[in-house]
Amino acid sequence: MPPDAAATWFPRLTAETLMLAGGIGAFVLTIYLVRSRELREKYAVTWIGVALLLLVAGFFPGLLKWAAEQSRLSYPAAVLFLALGMIYIFSFSVSLSLTRQYRRNIRLMQEQALLDYRLRRLERNQAPTEVKL
Amino acid sequence: MPHLVIIPAYNEQESLPQTVAALQALPPDFELLIINDGSRDRTGALAEELAHGSERPLHVLHLPINGGIGVAVQTGYLFAAKEGRFQYVIQFDADGQHDVGSLSELVAAAHADELDLCIGSRFLDPQQEGFRSTAVRRVGIRFFSLLIRLLGGVRITDPTSGLRCAGPRAWQRFAKHYPEDYPEPETVFWCVRNRLKVGEISVKMHARQGGRSSIRFRQSVYYMVKVTLAILLDRLRPAGQ
Repeated sequence: MPPDAAATWFPRLTAETLMLAGGIGAFVLTIYLVRSRELREKYAVTWIGVALLLLVAGFFPGLLKWAAEQSRLSYPAAVLFLALGMIYIFSFSVSLSLTRQYRRNIRLMQEQALLDYRLRRLERNQAPTEVKL
Repeated sequence: MPHLVIIPAYNEQESLPQTVAALQALPPDFELLIINDGSRDRTGALAEELAHGSERPLHVLHLPINGGIGVAVQTGYLFAAKEGRFQYVIQFDADGQHDVGSLSELVAAAHADELDLCIGSRFLDPQQEGFRSTAVRRVGIRFFSLLIRLLGGVRITDPTSGLRCAGPRAWQRFAKHYPEDYPEPETVFWCVRNRLKVGEISVKMHARQGGRSSIRFRQSVYYMVKVTLAILLDRLRPAGQ
């Protein structure tokens, strides 16, 4: 079999096809998780945005080239740096919201324990009464 | 005004009955509070039974999930803040390491010297009796002691001690903010930095009677790094925060 025989039925592995596949994958995954209520719409908005960006870049490679030339980020290392920066910002915001969420959970748990104590004390002090219909 | 003894308990069914029995020897103005920190053994049910048969007020709080030592102890301070009738709030371990005799001494010293935080130290006894932790941990304790001395100018020999008596100024603050894990050295430093009066008395401690220490070997590196970072960053905070 000649080496490029597969290329006749399988799209060539280029940056464009990778971005297309990534975009479609990210889009489907986000929709699926929101549908099954595992991901809040609040976060889904950003991820759908990322998926759309990938899709647009995949469909119109010229647009990406134009943007790269305009921003003078046309060499691979700069793009990598940009991508890492994005990942850093995203992960950092996740750590922040996890911390906030953790503190809230703790406070709720403590309040629950204190209320449970008050309820048990009330129940103990209250003499059993008959319910009259 | 009565005092409150906070006993955080996570899977302490072996030692809790003995600890509570020993605490019954305290003067009548001491009330007890067991905080069942989401235990998976019978600690919760046992605490309720103990409360039922206790000669003095024994309150029990159940945290639905295990929150860790800091969360459990802070729940005790929150309880004290809601009740609003306690003077000193004392932290006392459920595992039998602490001695009931030293608890009254701790409160007496806090009262006599008008301390906001009085710590039971294992390292003030010239005869060096009692259980003084392992050699590796002693190095860690020395390090925190030095750190607090360098940054706060106060000599605390046992900043990791879990036997502590807090006056209203300290425990009302602890009810609002308290570190979730490994809270002792950081809170000692907070008090020092905010010019609260911190003192120590010599106490003897025993080796644990049951259960497991919350600090295992693998976690000690995290412990050292986390607490050092917490103290260094606390130094940067404005007064009162």
